Amino acid sequence: MSTAHLIAVGSSPLGKTDLPGRDLFSKALAEAFEDLPDPADVVDALYVGAQSERYENQIMQGTLMAEWAGLRNVPAERVEACAAAGALALKNAVRDVRAGVHDAVLACGVEKMTAGGTEGATNALGAAFERALEQRSGITAPATYALLARRYLHETDATERDLGRIAVKNHGNAAANPRAMFQQAVDIETVMDAPEVAPPLKLYDCAPVTDGAAAIVVANDEVAADLQGRPDTIRVAGVGSAANNLAVAERDLTFVEGANVAASTAYEDAGVGAADIDVAEVHDAFTVCEALLAEAAEFAPKGRGIETVEVPGDRSAGWTDVQINTSGGLKARGHPIGATGLLQAVEAYEQLTGRAGERQVADADTALLINEGGVADAHTVATVLTAQ
Amino acid sequence: MTDDSDSPMTDTENTTTGPLAPEDITADSAFTLPGFFDALSEGRLLAARCTECDTHMLPPRPACYGCGSRAVTLSEQPRTGEVISYTSVNRPPSAFEHLAPITVAVVELDSSARLTGRVAAPLDDVSIGDRVELRVRDPETVDIDPDFDLSYEEEWPIHVFELM
Repeated sequence: MSTAHLIAVGSSPLGKTDLPGRDLFSKALAEAFEDLPDPADVVDALYVGAQSERYENQIMQGTLMAEWAGLRNVPAERVEACAAAGALALKNAVRDVRAGVHDAVLACGVEKMTAGGTEGATNALGAAFERALEQRSGITAPATYALLARRYLHETDATERDLGRIAVKNHGNAAANPRAMFQQAVDIETVMDAPEVAPPLKLYDCAPVTDGAAAIVVANDEVAADLQGRPDTIRVAGVGSAANNLAVAERDLTFVEGANVAASTAYEDAGVGAADIDVAEVHDAFTVCEALLAEAAEFAPKGRGIETVEVPGDRSAGWTDVQINTSGGLKARGHPIGATGLLQAVEAYEQLTGRAGERQVADADTALLINEGGVADAHTVATVLTAQ
Repeated sequence: MTDDSDSPMTDTENTTTGPLAPEDITADSAFTLPGFFDALSEGRLLAARCTECDTHMLPPRPACYGCGSRAVTLSEQPRTGEVISYTSVNRPPSAFEHLAPITVAVVELDSSARLTGRVAAPLDDVSIGDRVELRVRDPETVDIDPDFDLSYEEEWPIHVFELM
């Protein structure tokens, strides 16, 4: 089996932009290939994560992105698992490289979420929920996660303020991330005073509607050595994924089992344990998810995931020393659905190559990414990355 | 083939195991959505019950997510249960806009089957553990934008929970 390396990364500006999806992709591609030959001389295939054709009335995103990268007559496929689409693109690229099917593959993701306004995004995201009973009850993404949050607050000592502190922490991290959509800190009072979206979740508990794209070059040992001869590549050590039930009602609301399976599979593939992870980007589409995923990844004891906001020395016994969502997370870096899983990998790349600037975690050499789609763990992809 | 004598629920006339043969999968079978909603229109809430591990599934489906078995049977469900979690959809999808805010809950029926549904009560009146009863409404009385429905959904009833 070949080793898969991430040899170059790029992202577009994140937020409400004047660029359509394909142009956002061009931005991300241009950064990723800044010091590389043309994409056609490097990669043999492409996967693109894209949540919905509703935003731009465009499917065939694999063909389109390949064309915009100058690739022709190569395998080029769109993959979809709602917000897990980005990590799914990365997973497929890694699988192909590891299996020797391709020497190098472009993994990318794109979403132009603002095209139809907030209403358009609400309706497009609604397609991720079970249709027969749940969509027809009028639910939305914030409402489904509010069902998790309400139950979490019921079963644990956590409070709404504890959830709010996760948003404060992530905004603080994003303030030091030049890629982030919201590069400003917020205080807890602002978070607590914000309007309710789906109680107990308020505005700052929810990741924003975001336009954005990301592109990552995944390559085998030979291509990585040929192209770079430079130390700033990272290695994909382990991958895992799992699909849990589609209907939120049929899942454990306070234990995201599918995420636990995905993370455990990735740890096993990488030959590491939770305690080995220095930095993690987990899918905080809503604040409660960061707490739930800290527990599912076995960083935190059950019910104590909210201590993600504390510095390692101040956490309960049983917590690891991991630093979570140093990028600002989905909440503050931004959440362009199909690109999010790749943006998580961009942060891992920067942390593991010592390029994370003010938010650099000292001696970070192992990272975990957890990217989810649907409500919580309806689909999860977990990836372990290591410095070379 | 299946012994439902120990089931706490009243099983329907269909006590065979789930649809294993292609010809069993028709719109008349409650293992399909048309069949499930036809039964619901007539006042029967049918779940699939796994005869191996007793997982109850709404709507019915041909295999059990709990254990993987396809030895599932139809089981009429009780209408009563309790609120496991709840919230309010303050900004619903456009087809439901005029109903906002919509109280929704995850309810565990007395059979252990779980489903999400609207609750006909203001958010402040609902708590975890509240007893609720499922009601079946004609789609025309619910006032959801008809454009929301797919062609095959137009006659399907809408369920809603009422506080007991």
